[in-house]
Amino acid sequence: MKDFRLFDIYDFLTDDDFIRWVQEPRKEDNEFWSSWLLQNPDKHLTIEEARRILQTLAPRKVTVDDLEKEIEVKKLLDTIGAQPVGRPEAPVLPISRHKKWWYAAAVLLIALAATISYLVLNRNATVGKFDYAYVTPSKQLVENVNSSANPVRLVLPDESIVELGAGSRIAYTNNFDSSQTRDVYLSGEATFTVTKNPAHPFRVFANEIVTKVLGTSFTVRSFTRDSIIQVIVRTGKVSVYSQENTSNAETGSPNQLGGIILTFNQELVYKKSNREFKKTLLQNPVVITRDTVDQKIMLYDDAPLEKVFAQLSKIYGVTIIYDDDLLNTCTVTADLRSEPFYRKLDLICKAIGADYEIIDGQVIIQSRGCGTNLN
Amino acid sequence: MSGTDLLKRLQRNDAEALASLMWLYYDDLHNYGARFTTDNALVKDCIQEIFMSLWQRRETADTILSPKFYFLRAIKNKILKSLHKNNHTAFPNNEYNFSYEMSIEQIIIERHVNEEKLQKLRKTLELLSKKQREIVYLKYYHHLDHTQIAELMNVTRQTVYNLLHETLHKLRGLLKAEFIAQ
Repeated sequence: MKDFRLFDIYDFLTDDDFIRWVQEPRKEDNEFWSSWLLQNPDKHLTIEEARRILQTLAPRKVTVDDLEKEIEVKKLLDTIGAQPVGRPEAPVLPISRHKKWWYAAAVLLIALAATISYLVLNRNATVGKFDYAYVTPSKQLVENVNSSANPVRLVLPDESIVELGAGSRIAYTNNFDSSQTRDVYLSGEATFTVTKNPAHPFRVFANEIVTKVLGTSFTVRSFTRDSIIQVIVRTGKVSVYSQENTSNAETGSPNQLGGIILTFNQELVYKKSNREFKKTLLQNPVVITRDTVDQKIMLYDDAPLEKVFAQLSKIYGVTIIYDDDLLNTCTVTADLRSEPFYRKLDLICKAIGADYEIIDGQVIIQSRGCGTNLN
Repeated sequence: MSGTDLLKRLQRNDAEALASLMWLYYDDLHNYGARFTTDNALVKDCIQEIFMSLWQRRETADTILSPKFYFLRAIKNKILKSLHKNNHTAFPNNEYNFSYEMSIEQIIIERHVNEEKLQKLRKTLELLSKKQREIVYLKYYHHLDHTQIAELMNVTRQTVYNLLHETLHKLRGLLKAEFIAQ
């Protein structure tokens, strides 16, 4: 199939499908192009310009008066000696172009259906029933589009705050009260600070995944053009579900978080290609405790490792897993007061001769135990 | 019933199919013919002749692969030939008149364009060569493909492509200058 994203204005101007849409718009073409534009908002200007040029190039069809044509047809039949047959049988449609297109469209549809089922069967859908462009038109929603280059701040009906990223759009019902859940639909990137209301879970539908929260602050990044969807949690807890495998009732149920749970400083990456969720830590975890005392205590002189990890874990809300039998003799001497999270982790590990890995959003410490030469 | 189906029926001596074909392609033939001459009677006569010759060669009607292209080529040849005969004017090197006005009315309605700019736009459109006009006309009015356009105009496909792009480029610059930057 053609990839219109690679088209420049001259490609559009000479493309038969595009020309047909401008000259003889049909319902399915309008649907195709409006959803295509939704997915490729940067092409709006090109499309508009191409449309304008095409309108100049192609005037409406001129037809000869029917009566005049009838006279000519009769004259022809007289000349060849055939019996006049009056107006030739209906349906004499202006078929050549339209019909051909019909067939082409039908073939295309079948091909498209085949492609989609192929993709679905291969658990590899790129266009699907959860896409923003597919889901939103059927619902009565308020839509906000941020076509500027900077994030825009919006306040939702429940006072939740949305920081809508550049080139992103969000849609939601005008009245959250009328339903069990507070649902918003996102294409692009947005950071949410959700007002607490455990009875009405807040759900973000972003292509294949749903993120549910009871009240917290988090970011969802789901651009159609990207191969991944990200959910980043700053404070609180959210749960993320795949839309395919989860019922609406489950993600809509109040007071309950299921699916994959994300908490402070965690990030979830959903790979569209193999529908795989991966939980990880943020690149730069932030201190979650407001207690500045906690920060100051990270000056250690021969402190037990257990104590250091416990404090680190508390300050960043990150789970640290280690073998305490193996590491119970380890001590740490370091000034960790002003270092960022990963630098702290590096320094500790270096001190005890260990490595760490981030698995499933947790820190796993790998070590063969502490030697005698510690500092 | 498509044009190709009608040609098959024509092959079986079906005069009604001939009438249907004329009915079906009359508008396109008349429109193309009128680009070469303002003599409406001549255009109508030529159309009559085309269908008469088709009736005479009806046994081989199945060799016509694209009826629309066949008719468009026939009307062009016929009109240029009779213009040549009647007026004793030669059309050396593929030279002939071709009138085709682009529809700027559409834009005028959409945007409030003043008379001065309109004149300027019209004049520039008039600067397009006859060949450029004909290519634009065949592509955007009749939706022929590049191969058919090349054959009809007796030029190479590359020429069609080049002239088309040149025209589009020119038109784009023109519309930009006149309407966007106002």
